[in-house]
Amino acid sequence: MDPILLVLATLDGIAYAALVFLVAVGLTLIFGVMRILNVAHGAFYAIGGYAAASLVLSISDADFSPWLSFPALLVAAMGVGAALGLVIERFLLRHIYAKEEVLQLLVTFAAFMILEDVQRLVWGVQPYSATDPVRLLGTVDVMGIPYNAYQIILLPVIAVMVLLGLRWFLRRTLSGKVITAVTEDRETAIAMGIDARKVFTVTFVIGAVLAALGGALASPTTAIQLGLGAEMIVLSFAVVATAGLGQVEGAALAALLIGLGRSFAVYLVPELDVLVPYMIMVLVLLFRPQGLFAVAEKRRI
Amino acid sequence: MSVTLLEASSLHISFGGVTAADGIDLEVFSGERLAIIGPNGAGKTTFLNICTGYLTPSAGSVRFGGRDITAMAPRAITRMGIARAFQSPQLFHEQCVIDNLLLAAAARERAWNPFRPLRERPEHDEMLALLELFGLADHAASMVNELPEGTRKLVDIAVALALQPQLLLMDEPTSGVSSLEKFRIMDLLVKALAEQGVTSVFVEHDMEMVERYADRVAVWNSGRIQSVGAPDQVLADPSVMRDVIGV
Repeated sequence: MDPILLVLATLDGIAYAALVFLVAVGLTLIFGVMRILNVAHGAFYAIGGYAAASLVLSISDADFSPWLSFPALLVAAMGVGAALGLVIERFLLRHIYAKEEVLQLLVTFAAFMILEDVQRLVWGVQPYSATDPVRLLGTVDVMGIPYNAYQIILLPVIAVMVLLGLRWFLRRTLSGKVITAVTEDRETAIAMGIDARKVFTVTFVIGAVLAALGGALASPTTAIQLGLGAEMIVLSFAVVATAGLGQVEGAALAALLIGLGRSFAVYLVPELDVLVPYMIMVLVLLFRPQGLFAVAEKRRI
Repeated sequence: MSVTLLEASSLHISFGGVTAADGIDLEVFSGERLAIIGPNGAGKTTFLNICTGYLTPSAGSVRFGGRDITAMAPRAITRMGIARAFQSPQLFHEQCVIDNLLLAAAARERAWNPFRPLRERPEHDEMLALLELFGLADHAASMVNELPEGTRKLVDIAVALALQPQLLLMDEPTSGVSSLEKFRIMDLLVKALAEQGVTSVFVEHDMEMVERYADRVAVWNSGRIQSVGAPDQVLADPSVMRDVIGV
């Protein structure tokens, strides 16, 4: 393989992995704490993307400084994630925590379908893209080939910051430790008087904001259109399953593995690019059914 | 010893044909240490589960400090001032000892802070003092899953006390502790309870413990309270000796 192609494939893979990680880490965090596999997560990603693209476009329509598009991405993600996360947790999930897992899965799937129609109603069927942020950051030369700084610098930096921030939050801060405690043993947490319900709300909102952030950051580089959410949720399931459910650092490595796998496939065997992430997942699960980084669940008596 | 802190009246509950409580009336007085003894499977732990909201009796009620807590959720009961130490310690095994205590203290204070480290909680010194009381200060930074069972049971009791309860329910506090250690540990525990003014109920199989540490003892047999009174009187009763202790 041409060394330049090798480098390009690696950079593509890293940029893609950064986005996938943001979505997958929220999914795995929610699963770890609430034991719910949240299919609606894909919709948070898509709506985050739509909202960010709309906001960035209206900023450029209004002739404001295009640099405002960066905070706009963040504002869109936080707004969408917080609003949708709160509403869905409060009015939907709260009623089904004690129910069977199959029902929980179906309810979040229903929420996904409803939100999919909401996207159709609000944004219609035409694709949205707002490329200001990519244009503003310009390009960097990689072995003589210009490459988007947005994709090879900004996205990975944000992903790493999110990873380090989450690690610090979960391992050091009071709220993070409480979330970790509920993840480890909900019964014990309740016996100690910890408000598990509040922990659920906060965790779900954090997860939703991360998914929306993934969508918002993707909007300058891809056209946001219908079906994007479904594609992303399936891919992040693959990442989460490969890493092991509930694994934050694992999700980062699995996202990188799958991101790189996919981008190398694009350069080497383009017919297989969609398939490769799932092939990686199946291979991993054949040998380690609990995922790469999860310890097999200990039996509690 | 006359103010009633907890009062169970006519509790009934059964599991698949086994009647664990068949009209239980039991009072716990403020400031006392009440032991509950009885054959295995008699329903002693079921009683603790009812008092902490994990089980709802099919009939009867539990009142705590005058309020009916029969159908209340476990967390609400914890907040009212009933804490519990379990037969097999319920702790966060992948966190260190001091963090377990700090989490309990933070829950007690309803604290919530996404930016400040847990270790900087104002209760830190208070929790260290609590560990000190049990001779566990050296283990503050140890991971729970690295500790021997007996030590974990002590940590579990310390966590329960971190909640500053009025009433502490314990399920065989010294089982799994070596017989050399158990008196030392119970002495420490009794001292801690007295210092904090905590009333306690403990389920116990070890009659030596009951004789030495209980103010009163209740005999739970076949879903009923067979007798209740001072340990020297109850344990001297030949029918109790026969039914419960098996001699």
